[in-house]
Amino acid sequence: MQPDDLTGVLAPKLGVRLKGVEPFPGTAGRVRFEREAALDLFRAVRDDLGFRHLSMVGGIDWVDHREVFYVLWSDDAKQYLVLSTDVPADDPRVETASSVWPSANWHEREAWELVGIVFDHHPDLRHLLTPDGYEFRPLLRSFKLHEPEELEVKARHV
Amino acid sequence: MSEMWVNMGPQHPMTHGLWNLRVLLDGELIRDVDPEVGYLHRGIEKISEDRHYNEVITLMDRCCYVAGLTWEHLYIIASEDALHLEPPERALYLRVMCDEFQRIASHLMWYAAFVQDIGLMTPFLYGMRDRDLILDLFQSFTGARMTYEYLRVGGVRNDLPPGFTDHTRKVLDWLTARFVDYDKLCLGSDIFHKRCDNLGVLKAADCVAHGVTGPMLRSAGLRRDLRKDRPYAVYNQLDFEVALADSADVTGRYVVRMEEMRQAVRILRQVVDWLDHHPGPVMAEQVPRWLGAPYAPVGKEGYLLKRNYPKGVGFSSVEEPHGEAQAYVVNEGGEHPYRVKFRSPVFANISAARQYLVGYRIADIPPIMGSVDVCVGEVDR
Repeated sequence: MQPDDLTGVLAPKLGVRLKGVEPFPGTAGRVRFEREAALDLFRAVRDDLGFRHLSMVGGIDWVDHREVFYVLWSDDAKQYLVLSTDVPADDPRVETASSVWPSANWHEREAWELVGIVFDHHPDLRHLLTPDGYEFRPLLRSFKLHEPEELEVKARHV
Repeated sequence: MSEMWVNMGPQHPMTHGLWNLRVLLDGELIRDVDPEVGYLHRGIEKISEDRHYNEVITLMDRCCYVAGLTWEHLYIIASEDALHLEPPERALYLRVMCDEFQRIASHLMWYAAFVQDIGLMTPFLYGMRDRDLILDLFQSFTGARMTYEYLRVGGVRNDLPPGFTDHTRKVLDWLTARFVDYDKLCLGSDIFHKRCDNLGVLKAADCVAHGVTGPMLRSAGLRRDLRKDRPYAVYNQLDFEVALADSADVTGRYVVRMEEMRQAVRILRQVVDWLDHHPGPVMAEQVPRWLGAPYAPVGKEGYLLKRNYPKGVGFSSVEEPHGEAQAYVVNEGGEHPYRVKFRSPVFANISAARQYLVGYRIADIPPIMGSVDVCVGEVDR
């Protein structure tokens, strides 16, 4: 599967909300999309293109905005696909993928607590790796490694 | 009867590491589960942003303490992608050798822990003893038994010591004979079947939906192995089969892992033969000096490459002993990666716990979770 094939399938469904498909090393391509199109894109990618396996969800802090990326795998094409969308730093929201791929659940919890991406309609957006009440987003660039943090941790199960 | 939440962990013999399985019980029946991880979270992805590319390798060993070399390999492929480096062929074969030995060592560790959970003590000692043979081999060429720091961006650190391949063949012969005994001890035992058959069933469609990979997925009959589907290093030049089972239960996972060890031995014999006849460099020549290649020739232009790498993203995935691991390395032109993201296969496998635990009884938890092969180091990172 080539980037052009992906555009051919996705462009009619998404229209202008599809920002383009670019080559990406080691995968079928990277699909850039507007976050409003998230759910439509997820369904199209799973049902029309056959990417039934969501491998991971991650966030990148580019300081002026944040990026959410999804890595998918298709058993038929034996290929990976990367989806990527930009969200503003002051409103880092995107629709959850867990209604389409249940495996997104924990990956999104991690991206929420470490990079601060908020996943709308996520069934269970709780802390996973960091303790409850931990208010820092360690994977943001503003979180410096060499400065002490003030931390007050609530007990998990009282 | 009323329901109650019970904590199995973080200190519990079943967990094999520091994590907590919260179980909602109705009598003995499991109604719901809520795995809790994070006790071992060290922020490896964050620390990586503050380190040179080669310094991250140290962290990879700590990612999974039973498969350190495989994690090094994962990160190395992604970094070389991002930095546009091409390692020599001998280094690729050495990496495959590390991967496959690590697979056997990891599965032996799993075997030892798993069979002990279901009440067989002797195999535990057998598994640990045979794993030590592999650790001895690792020690002879990396200098360490657990945290190896052997792979390098652009190759591997050093070549093998004299006599290594002959010694390796003896170990492989020994292991081949031992695998027969392992099977007799487990598959020939009624206790084993009573505790494992038809437990923790997770069908292929559920595996895919919940992101489960590795031996758990192959035990459900789905032929998916990155070494075949998307060959990295030199796996496309090696002859081996994908281990499969169709029962999708605990016994199936045992069968798959035992077969994987046999196939790993088969791969290792081919690799060792190749290494005997193809001496050569183990480090790429264009590696810049700051990436550290003390035992390898450094090209004349190497030093100039510093800070001049094109921006880019490296993506890699390897078939780790536990499943499919992925790395996503963003390079912004500096000496440190801008962002590193890892996918841990066990992370996804545990997150599906509700699918394969609910409906069984509390005494079934140790064999089921044992068959998942949890390694907390890579879950929490």
